[in-house]
Amino acid sequence: MRRESGERMGIFTQSIEVDCTPAGVPIRMRWQGREYRLAAEPVRWFERRKWWKEELRAERGRGPGLVDYEVWQLQVKLAGVGPLRTFEVSCQIDTGRWRIIRMPEAYKESA
Amino acid sequence: MSFTHLHVSSAFSAHYGVSWPKDLVAAAIDDGADALAITDRDGLYGSVKHLKACIENGIDPIIGVDLALLEPSTGPAIHGKAKELRTVGRIIALAKGHSNGAGYAALCHLITAAHQLTTSTGVHKPNIGITREELATYVKAPNGEVLLTIMLGAGSDVGLATGHRQYNQARTLLRDWRSLLGVEALRVEITTHLSNPGEKLSTAHAIRMLRCAITVGIAPVLTNAVRYAEPDGAATADVLDSARALSSLSTLNDIQPNGQGWLKPAEHMHHLATEIARSAADTSLAPTLLRNTAALADWARLDPVPDTGWGNPVVPEPHIIGITTDPNTELAARSEAGITRLLPHETNNPLLRERLEAELSTIADLGFAPYFLTVAEVSSMITDMGIRSAARGSGASSLVNYLIGISQVNPLTHDLLFERFLSRDRATLPDIDIDVESARRHEIYRKIFDRFGAQRVSLMSMQNGYRARGAVRDAGTALGMEETDIDVIAKQLWRFSASSFRDALAEKPELAPFADRLGTEKQLDLLVDLTERLDRLPRHISMHPCGVILSDNTLRDRTPMEPSGITLPMSQFDKHDMDPMGMLKLDVLGVRMQSAITYSLAEIARIHPSAQAVATAGGHLSGKPASIPGYIQPNGAIDLALVPLDDEPTFELIRSTHTLGCFQIESPGQRELIGKLAPTEFNDLIIDISLFRPGPMKSNMVKPYLENRHGFAPEKYPHPSLAPALAETHGVTVFHEQVLRIFDVMTDCGLAKADVYRRLLGNPKAEPAVESLFRSKALRRGYSLAVIDEVWGTLSAFGSFGFCKAHGAAFAVPTYHSAWLKAHHPEAFLAGIWEHDPGMYPKRLLVAEARRMGIKILPLDINRSALGYKVEKLDGLLPPAQLPVVPRAVGAMPPGRYGIRLSLRGIRSVSEREVTRVAAGQPYDSIADVRARSGLTRTSLNHFAALGAFDSLQAGIGRGNRADLVEHLRAGSSKPVAQRHRPIPGQLSLPLGDIDLSTMLIGAEQTSLDEVVRTELDLMSLDVSAHLMESHATLLDALGVSRAQDLLAMRNGTEVLVAGVRVATQTPPMRGGRRVVFISVDDGTGCVDATFFHEAQQRCGPLLFSTRLLLIHGLTRRTGPRGISLQALDAWDLSAKSMLPAPGYLADPARARNQSFGSSALDPAAKRSAVSLAQRMAAEDLDTRGYLGA
Repeated sequence: MRRESGERMGIFTQSIEVDCTPAGVPIRMRWQGREYRLAAEPVRWFERRKWWKEELRAERGRGPGLVDYEVWQLQVKLAGVGPLRTFEVSCQIDTGRWRIIRMPEAYKESA
Repeated sequence: MSFTHLHVSSAFSAHYGVSWPKDLVAAAIDDGADALAITDRDGLYGSVKHLKACIENGIDPIIGVDLALLEPSTGPAIHGKAKELRTVGRIIALAKGHSNGAGYAALCHLITAAHQLTTSTGVHKPNIGITREELATYVKAPNGEVLLTIMLGAGSDVGLATGHRQYNQARTLLRDWRSLLGVEALRVEITTHLSNPGEKLSTAHAIRMLRCAITVGIAPVLTNAVRYAEPDGAATADVLDSARALSSLSTLNDIQPNGQGWLKPAEHMHHLATEIARSAADTSLAPTLLRNTAALADWARLDPVPDTGWGNPVVPEPHIIGITTDPNTELAARSEAGITRLLPHETNNPLLRERLEAELSTIADLGFAPYFLTVAEVSSMITDMGIRSAARGSGASSLVNYLIGISQVNPLTHDLLFERFLSRDRATLPDIDIDVESARRHEIYRKIFDRFGAQRVSLMSMQNGYRARGAVRDAGTALGMEETDIDVIAKQLWRFSASSFRDALAEKPELAPFADRLGTEKQLDLLVDLTERLDRLPRHISMHPCGVILSDNTLRDRTPMEPSGITLPMSQFDKHDMDPMGMLKLDVLGVRMQSAITYSLAEIARIHPSAQAVATAGGHLSGKPASIPGYIQPNGAIDLALVPLDDEPTFELIRSTHTLGCFQIESPGQRELIGKLAPTEFNDLIIDISLFRPGPMKSNMVKPYLENRHGFAPEKYPHPSLAPALAETHGVTVFHEQVLRIFDVMTDCGLAKADVYRRLLGNPKAEPAVESLFRSKALRRGYSLAVIDEVWGTLSAFGSFGFCKAHGAAFAVPTYHSAWLKAHHPEAFLAGIWEHDPGMYPKRLLVAEARRMGIKILPLDINRSALGYKVEKLDGLLPPAQLPVVPRAVGAMPPGRYGIRLSLRGIRSVSEREVTRVAAGQPYDSIADVRARSGLTRTSLNHFAALGAFDSLQAGIGRGNRADLVEHLRAGSSKPVAQRHRPIPGQLSLPLGDIDLSTMLIGAEQTSLDEVVRTELDLMSLDVSAHLMESHATLLDALGVSRAQDLLAMRNGTEVLVAGVRVATQTPPMRGGRRVVFISVDDGTGCVDATFFHEAQQRCGPLLFSTRLLLIHGLTRRTGPRGISLQALDAWDLSAKSMLPAPGYLADPARARNQSFGSSALDPAAKRSAVSLAQRMAAEDLDTRGYLGA
């Protein structure tokens, strides 16, 4: 798939491709046409959504994904050698597409 | 791979848990679990349901509780008083299993202690909870055996400290716990909901707990602090968090961090263990966590029968009810004594002997003799208290019950079957219900506690779940909607469950304005969804209106108790929990009609002081020379039990359908049925009451019964062999007893088995098996397929509804008694009805009924009004201008001699204390005297004056009118007489005349009748001086409105306008078809019962449920010789004058028309009216307000 080029810090609406293990743990990602490898154990959490502000419906039986979404923090290096970069990514339940949530600067230099 | 969840809140954790126990168990089983815990907040509310689900599915139940932890607040103590307690977290306590009930009993006692208002040392508790010291007393047995394991998780004091990264404090707290309870009784609960790193319930939080546990040496276990079975429940949990905090979701502090508190499968839990261990950099911790969890689960697995007493009926010890011999021998002896007392001439009747023997041997086999003796004990205790009581329900089917004084009905005379009540095929404790005067119900409860000992007795509780209105309010609050907006919506919701909100929006015209806004206002869609999510979820428990649990002295080991509204302790279990937990429940129902009857009898005795006077007044004298009948005792008291059940004037009154106020037969549908059925004997009343049920209605029994009864159609029996069973109801199946006989006759199964089959009818899972059995056996016995088809059709439609004839017989007694009183002693009867308000209608309708009965309503009077409504002799013998509409017994006192004086009670904002003091101070000789001694506040004094309570005092002075006095009091000095001028108690005030009134300004215009009535409605919700509608008379005449009393003389299908005050609104349950709404209005001359079909509902919209004064356009529908109702076409709010139609509307070509009327060859009126009766019956069956007291 083709993506917009040009990254503007702070707003990340771009999509990203992530490959996972059979257990659903990310192992590598492709972004802006380049492949990144994991440089550390990925960390995950479930982040709350203010669904009552964002959603039109909250019907019973709707299933997971209304109240929270899973976020993976990936520490990666370009082709396994470049500088360490941190991505926070999430997979949309309905479409299966990944998107970038945040790219926290704070993680840039950490090991 | 397996995992046992040890921390699970069910929906019975009010405002916290989301999923029902059975759904949690189902989810666990889907994942292959072999055990599951339930740890509800504050109690065992869901535990019995959990036990049941676990037992049915063959997994081990584990039971615990989630309690608030209390400790003294920090800061200095004040004046040596104990420091106040505050909540510092929550803990979980799990009961030890396979301990012969010791663990479970400790859990019950712990919870009971948590609900006490003070600690054992007398310190006040701010909320439900337990102190560490209290906890320590329940955790171990005297021999040191650990009975409860305490889990400290993320919500505990330790967990809150680690959450705030106060590691030292966390370790100190945990060490304190260790020295208090020991390592054996403690676990640290490790939970991650994978919330944002570092936050509450994050993996980091779990690791801090884990490290703290390892440092202090307490075994860690893994849980998921579950609140819902599936991820889908998370949004519901959010709304519950909001409802608990009474705060909108946006402003909520205590919302769950995310939606991960679900019953995760074992695979997920193992994965979480690994994730935690890896993050803690010690992978060996994962197996440790899982092993510890499994070990604790094994320790807590319950063996339901020995541990909780599952399914084992427990009755009070024989010595408590004074029995020293074998209970079976005792029961037989008492039955024998009953024969001597009640049926002395039948001592050797073989039928009686055979029946008694069969009953006694069944009871002995089931071991229920102590149960019968216990109920007999309660029953005689109530009688000894001088309280009216009557056994009700299937208990009336037992001869033993009759002989030992529990029931008043001889089952042999009414042909009632014991098998319907009890048999060897039904081993649960049977229900015996006792109806008592509602006003004295709590007195009886206290007496039962005294008699059996508080350790054996408790009240039963009931769960109150969300219904549409409550759900929409809490959902609206969660979304942060304006309270006024929510209010508008909530008020429009009418009697349907929250789960059908969206369907209701599509169907119901009164919700149309709201439905139109859906989709345009974003929040409304969400509001509907959240309302549906809250549907039926438990909100709180309350005292069950009639259930009392009787047991032996181990009761408190088997159920937790909490305080009830009336200070007596209440079990946390509800009626569904009784049978499984082997608890004997006695329903002591407060029936207002019993209180009303008692009151009426007392009034009769008060106004007619001798037997002769009573007999004359009531028209009871009979024969020549006239003699006083046996049911009037020499002192004039009437013994209703001895009144013959064949009194013709009583049946005349019933057939007249003027039955407002009469038990069971006053509703619009019942009046219609009574009119069609025209009862002539007591058995007709039993049938009438039994017909008025969903079963006979659904199986289309009413119409054929009525046709056969009146000889319009020949009686028809599916097969001659069924004639004996069905003859009394002309071939139509009405009673459970008949269903039993049909099964027995056609399959030869025996009556006991027949009752088992009957109970399975209507159960979609079990019915097919009953059907195939019925068909094959009947076929083998030679019945034709056609007969079998027809009979099965009846049985199947009859379902498990229908009515047990014993119920009907028991119900019919107060029905007959109330009608008897209305016919013979109308004034006393009505006073009793006003006093206790037993029926379904607003009181003002029964006040209006006085006018139709020719009874004068006497206004409030400071000297003559008493604490209750009193029958009062009138001065002079003025007959009413016209004969009353409601018939009186021939020979009874003619109307015009007695009236009913309004009571001092029931006046707005006048307190009970004031009322009592006013009554104690009577008589008063002047307004000044009233002011000085009555203790009425200024407002109350004004209210009394406005209602004319001082008219008689004023009349003596001869100055001014009511308006003058009201003005005088309003303007005048507000202070009562200064203390030094008041007479000391016992001293009479000096007869100085009324200084107050002699200085009063006079000359105000006489208060208009209209205004008087409005004041009465405002202050008493009653229109006393005239009917509310009278003020509209001019308008109604201009519009050409017909009066209720005139409708009966009209032809069927006459187009009319009627008007009145709404007195009843009913909607039958919708079964696929379109809803029908019944609205009854009262116009002072009687009630008009109007039926609104779909088109009319569309025309009226929001008016249907919210308008009080209605003008209705419709067509008359004859429902019987004495009955007429209205098919509504349109309606208006009578108080919205500008919207009303113009005079001559009935000739307006643009008026609403009935589409189908007159357009078909069939007589649609007849068709509609049959439909209408059936629907009316359906509407009313759900309405038990008229029956249950409290």
